[in-house]
Amino acid sequence: MKANIRNLAAGTAMLGAMTAGISAASADTLKVAAISGYFSQGFGIAIVNGLKKAEQDFDVEVKIVDTGNRALDYEEQFNNIAKDGEYDLVFVMGWELVDALQKSNAAYPDQKFIFIDGILESETMTYIDFVEEEGSYLVGALTSMLTEQGVEGFDSGSQVGFIGGRDIPVIRNFLMGYEQGVDEQSDGVSVSSVFSGTFDDPAKGSELAMTLYGQGVDVIYQAAGPTGEGVLQAAKVADKYAVGVDIDQCPTAPGHILASMLKRADVAVYDVIKGEVDGSAPVTAGPVSYGVAAGGIELKVCDDVADMIPEDVMTKLEEVRAGIADGSISVTLNQ
Amino acid sequence: MSTEADTTPTARAGRQLPAWLEGLLGQMVALVIAIIGGGIIVMLVGEDPILVFTTLLRGAFGSSERIAGSLLQATPIIIAGVAACIALRGGLFNIGVEGQLYMGGFAAAFVGFQFALPAGLHMVVALAAAVVAGGLWILIPAFFRARFGTNEVVSTILSNYVAILLTSYLTIDVFKRPGGWSETAPIATTAYLPQLFDFSRLNFGLFIGLALAVGFHLFLTRTSTGYEMNTMGSNMKFAEYGGIPVRRNILIVLLCSGAVGGLAGGVETLGVHHRFMEGFAPGFGFDGVIAALLANGSPIGVIFTAIFFGALRAGSLLMEVETNASREVITVFQAFIILCVSAQVLLRRRRDSNQGERRWRF
Repeated sequence: MKANIRNLAAGTAMLGAMTAGISAASADTLKVAAISGYFSQGFGIAIVNGLKKAEQDFDVEVKIVDTGNRALDYEEQFNNIAKDGEYDLVFVMGWELVDALQKSNAAYPDQKFIFIDGILESETMTYIDFVEEEGSYLVGALTSMLTEQGVEGFDSGSQVGFIGGRDIPVIRNFLMGYEQGVDEQSDGVSVSSVFSGTFDDPAKGSELAMTLYGQGVDVIYQAAGPTGEGVLQAAKVADKYAVGVDIDQCPTAPGHILASMLKRADVAVYDVIKGEVDGSAPVTAGPVSYGVAAGGIELKVCDDVADMIPEDVMTKLEEVRAGIADGSISVTLNQ
Repeated sequence: MSTEADTTPTARAGRQLPAWLEGLLGQMVALVIAIIGGGIIVMLVGEDPILVFTTLLRGAFGSSERIAGSLLQATPIIIAGVAACIALRGGLFNIGVEGQLYMGGFAAAFVGFQFALPAGLHMVVALAAAVVAGGLWILIPAFFRARFGTNEVVSTILSNYVAILLTSYLTIDVFKRPGGWSETAPIATTAYLPQLFDFSRLNFGLFIGLALAVGFHLFLTRTSTGYEMNTMGSNMKFAEYGGIPVRRNILIVLLCSGAVGGLAGGVETLGVHHRFMEGFAPGFGFDGVIAALLANGSPIGVIFTAIFFGALRAGSLLMEVETNASREVITVFQAFIILCVSAQVLLRRRRDSNQGERRWRF
């Protein structure tokens, strides 16, 4: 709405000044700011989409601040946002901003900061925490069922693969959920896992993937950031399958990406704003979990491979999803 | 027909302005054109240019905190600018300030977190490490320029990429702080550059920058070595005929330029970030080179161009939050100024050349 008004006004200063008047917020308008350096990339785009949707549906005004990549600027940018207490909620995404965020949080304790995809030490901030192990369980269920049945393309052996970035707790969570899904939803299928030791090396990801494929693994689930891009590319080269993570990676290697485990930042952001606006769940300090039940985690089966997945596998997968959502299947992290 | 006689070169030479006034006038014209050009861009995105520019000014100079913020942004540009000036005045180009800044920044951080030394001394040693690292980083381009006449523009530009990637590797793979973002362990407080105020991260580095600029100015104008360097800068062949050891001087000038570039990184690490992180200061080295070119190689001029750039950067941060104009408007603004100033330099050279109207090469 607002963006449309602005487009019409583009080009003339006078009209520009007028829109500034039109969009001036009333007292009840919820003012939301979002700050990150990644608004042009997958996960950041999802955040922007969630904000835009909230702006359409509710009386919300959104300000998006791109931090750029110069560390010197971060503190100043946080202070500019928090200084006047103008914004009711401030969404923050990106680990490199943590230092500046913590300083600003200490200097402006009344400002509500919401950190996306991680939990920090401070107890006064709100955290959007995606339950990645639930999504990984679904991935495990899907890949192991296909392997167990020996569906065409998944009939080389009885192992499914996993490539992680560095061996750190959050990536372990992916692996544990995945292994649990494989164990509980199939018989005789096991996980062959490997950590690349880096998040920034697609070539290494590709190399490790080729090794796993060579050992008779037909499908690899990757949780390795840019390293994982190499895994997806290797799937295409080896004519095998891979599973994407975080965002919809199906278009990366069409026909060779089985599914993507999505962290729906758009759903989470929209949901947080909705809770604040209608008063059903005002923002409070501490972590808020977004898992399968809340729609924050989703397994998207890629359209171009959906045909080759047997009906009964899809049905079973949906049952598993419903089970996780209603709590009858519990994904645990201490296996 | 006869009225056109006014515009001939001879007629213009008759009322030529003093060089400093002409220079200042040129900068003003550049600024006005940039403001108009920037204003049009702002209007195209549907924002009020007056509001944007007043917010920009307020963001840069609106309060003592904001002025400190502008100076904080200007500090690395001043030092990097002096580094570029040193090369320019010696008739050379150091486009590798960015890389030297990264190497210096990392070296200072390394000394800061790896060793325990008494306060003060620790800082000095860390800064010295930055100077050495910057100097070492330009050693290869400098040696090849002095010994074989290899074009230093290309070799210094290329050394930037190596430095940025090398420090990334060291930060991510070798010295990464466990559990953190891609950064090293924090440096010891004994190595901190003292802050000037408690409301800003502005630090002693500003004075280091100012002292370097003034010191280099005095060196150029008051010492015979400085005169020698000036001669070399204005005409290298003539300097060689005059008995100046040009090859040796090329090496020394480039090493000094690189060393100061390294210092810029050290000051940034010890004064602001207190650790080294991957991609910690993108662009400051290049900003320094541009500031030096705009100041026509004058170290005193660099102080002003650098503060101007710093103020633009600081102001743009507020502008982005309070208006709908993106921070990138500033980049457009800078580009306008650079275009205008370089156009003037070309026009002046053409006018001053003794080969008449047809001389386009320089």
